[in-house]
Amino acid sequence: MKPAAFAYDDPRELGHVLDLLAREGEDVKVLAGGQSLVPLLNFRLARPDRLVDLNRVEELAYLRRDGDVLRIGALARHADLERSEEVAAGWPLLAAAVRFVGHVQIRARGTVCGSVAHADPAAELPVALAALDARFHVRSARGSRTLGAEELFLGFLTTTLEPDELLVEIEVPAPPAGSGSAFVEHARTHGDFALGGAAAVVAGREARLALLAAGPVPLRAREAEEVVATRGSFPEAADAAVAALELTGPDADWRRALLRELALRALERAAA
Amino acid sequence: MTWVGRPVPRREDARFLRGEATYLDDLELPGLLEAAFVRSPFAHARLGAVDAGAALALPGVVAVLAGSDLDVLPLPVGGVEGGVVADAGHPVLARGKVRYAGEAVALVVAGSRALAEDAAELVEVDYEPLEPVLDPRAASAGPLVHDHVAENALVRWSRVHGDPEAAFAAAHAAVAQSFHIPRLVAAPIEPRGAIARHEPEVDILTVWCSAQDPHRPLAQLGHALGRDRDRLRVVVPDVGGAFGSKGAVGPEVAAVAAAAVELGVPIRWTEDRTENFLAAYQGRGLDADVELALASDGRILALRAALYADLGGYLYATTAVAPHTTAMLLCGTYRIPAVDVEVVGVATTKVPTGPYRGAGRPEAAFLIERMVDIAAGELGLDPAELRRRNFVPPDAFPYQTPLGWTYDSGSFERCLDAAVELGEVERRRVEQAWARAEGRVLGVGVGMYVERAAGLWESADLRVEADGRAVVRTGSSPHGQGHETTFAQIAADELGVDPEAVEIVWGDSGEVPPGIGTFASRSVAMGGSALVVAARELAARATQAGLSVAELAAAEGGVEASARFESGLVFASGAYVAVVEIDRPTGRLRVLSVAAVDDSGRIVNPLLAEGQVLGATVQGLGQCLVEEAVHDEEGQLRTASFADYSLLTAAELPAIEGRFVETPSPLNPLGAKGIGEGGAIATPAAVANAVADALAPFGVRHVDPPFTEAKLWRLLR
Repeated sequence: MKPAAFAYDDPRELGHVLDLLAREGEDVKVLAGGQSLVPLLNFRLARPDRLVDLNRVEELAYLRRDGDVLRIGALARHADLERSEEVAAGWPLLAAAVRFVGHVQIRARGTVCGSVAHADPAAELPVALAALDARFHVRSARGSRTLGAEELFLGFLTTTLEPDELLVEIEVPAPPAGSGSAFVEHARTHGDFALGGAAAVVAGREARLALLAAGPVPLRAREAEEVVATRGSFPEAADAAVAALELTGPDADWRRALLRELALRALERAAA
Repeated sequence: MTWVGRPVPRREDARFLRGEATYLDDLELPGLLEAAFVRSPFAHARLGAVDAGAALALPGVVAVLAGSDLDVLPLPVGGVEGGVVADAGHPVLARGKVRYAGEAVALVVAGSRALAEDAAELVEVDYEPLEPVLDPRAASAGPLVHDHVAENALVRWSRVHGDPEAAFAAAHAAVAQSFHIPRLVAAPIEPRGAIARHEPEVDILTVWCSAQDPHRPLAQLGHALGRDRDRLRVVVPDVGGAFGSKGAVGPEVAAVAAAAVELGVPIRWTEDRTENFLAAYQGRGLDADVELALASDGRILALRAALYADLGGYLYATTAVAPHTTAMLLCGTYRIPAVDVEVVGVATTKVPTGPYRGAGRPEAAFLIERMVDIAAGELGLDPAELRRRNFVPPDAFPYQTPLGWTYDSGSFERCLDAAVELGEVERRRVEQAWARAEGRVLGVGVGMYVERAAGLWESADLRVEADGRAVVRTGSSPHGQGHETTFAQIAADELGVDPEAVEIVWGDSGEVPPGIGTFASRSVAMGGSALVVAARELAARATQAGLSVAELAAAEGGVEASARFESGLVFASGAYVAVVEIDRPTGRLRVLSVAAVDDSGRIVNPLLAEGQVLGATVQGLGQCLVEEAVHDEEGQLRTASFADYSLLTAAELPAIEGRFVETPSPLNPLGAKGIGEGGAIATPAAVANAVADALAPFGVRHVDPPFTEAKLWRLLR
């Protein structure tokens, strides 16, 4: 369980990072918290030619409230989110979701942007961020662009990020005034990979719902949101949330029932 | 001051908690090289040429050795009393065929582990894949795993006592059930590993080995390498858990040892987690068909059972032990006049099985305790009452069961009474009635157990120095049990000194007297008793001289005694109560509480004994809730990492409350039985009974573990 050989850079400035990512002809991976990448390296499932380590790029290490929005820099750790009083007060859904991320050691090291860029549909924060209408700021030596969740997440462990691009910041708008939120998850054991989960933000008949482990990407359940808006029924919304899911495998029937139940619980708790 | 019976905190904890322990991977030797293994990707294949050319061309790679490069025998096979066991020992490196995915085919030695792994990837092996053999019930008709083992039957054992046929014919009622108990992995925090160094000038091979004791590696390596005991030394450093899985030495250890002699360099193999999942022997893995014949008053008249143990590709020295133990303990705590029990240990193309905490006893308890509950349901009797009507009574000991073992002692009804009280069964039954009225799914279950423990022999050397300090050299060896604390308590009482004045030396075959090892919950009963016998010899000498032991030691410049203690098997026992609730929408099983009552005879240290109960219970719960080693149709292990194989965390644990009933064993001077495994033995039985109880209103009679959400959700629909 030792990684195959790779070249390693530990730049100090974002510009240098982007230059390294722009080099042609190499498979380059970005190392931040390493909580997904390092196991993949050790299993030799990932064999990059080069690692660019962000950990010494201090300009990326921030988590701050900026007016009405929360800004999460590329080096902000899960633990920063977990311990932030501003996050607890202004974005309680993130505070709730981050508690389900792995174990304390993983949260101390893993980064929020790293989890998003890894794009695991069973990961907590991409789903919570999708429910909060987060914006994802991307930079490269060529320029910058900003994406919504549905533009960023392309498929299982796949985003629309180009090889030379870096997710530098996540911008999270304030939840709607008077809204409540809830995050629920089902895993075999605490900290294990989620078998299902749901994040909800509810203000009256305005609901936002996103599901974990419900498909290849962190999934925004737009049909369910529409049902809440038009009919005001959470059970019907939960039905709608799972009706169109393409679930496969021997336990697909159970997973659909599980996701429906979790969607319902998230909506009910968010409204409570 | 009496020390035995007091909750003395573990003195070894300071070392472990400060990170000052020395595990195998912490050891350093000059010139130490590292090993990695080329492992079979196929579950069953004929083995062709091994081409190491590209691997050897990597700078820093010292050697690549295949099976034909080593002059060694397979690891030894162990038998079971009254059984027939095939000659199918585990080869040190595969020869001719591979019989499980992950089997070691070649050994790479290099300057670093990373380099050894790079080189291992470059070794080219020709395989001709063969059909895998996976289902133990169907294996007798499958392709042969070993050409010389007919019907793939590696182990056969059977026993008939009384007239079971007549009992079934005349019975008021009979119940039958089939079972599948999945394989588990032991998953110690520290995986296996070894360092081997050969000193040619004296021809001594030293093997540092993460093992449960030095004695069995010494015997097994001596056999495989053809090396006399006096040319072999085994040293066991601190060990980060074993749970039975480090009792028989792995073929990798023998390969590294043989290579160290062959190449004349010291070599280390530190197993990684993937290797541990794939290649360390697994536990459990049993299919069974069981029947009980019953009288109208609930008396059990006869037991019939056919057991199919999924033993894997080879037999380790201890592989046959677990299914034999299951068979021998099938009568549990009950007086059953007639039995007909048959075991077939089947060769499959999976990693071999071996002892894992409980080692055959959890399977026995699961089978008989489930059958008793099924019988109670059939007869409309309370399950606890049916148990009471069938217990071996306290005045029947020593009691020989119809299967052949003799229970030394026990108070089964007292244990059950205590568990019913501790588990608040009456209150829980009321709660269950309310819950059912609300549509909730609650269950209460009882599980009894009998644990074969101890037996054979152990030894101890004891020296009391002129300054009063005592040094105990014990053949018993710790890997989490707390020998340094409990053995010091025992010595302190016998010698009349403070435990702090007692040093415990263990683990180095060059330092300690011969022994057998640490397994089967036998350390205190056997190693502790050997220590008592040695200490009593010194105490007798001192009394004769009219002195205390310390005074005698001062007068004589130190005194010594050695003892070897031998005894028959002792039988710990107990009763567990589990309360569970199943969440209807998701199928999630929550264990609400476990009440654990263990009769382990005299308890030397209640604090450490409670720790054993908690740890074993958690492992038993893991087996109920999440643990299952799953192989796919090609024989590939699907659960080969902690991403796919879950262990419980503190967050999943219910309230676990324990109590001890102390019925001393008459077979040793401490009156001790075993405490290491009861929780792992009784918990699955109690939880399985609680799950079946919860599901009874849904027309469900039996569910096999693990009790996963999807499985329970379907049963509730």
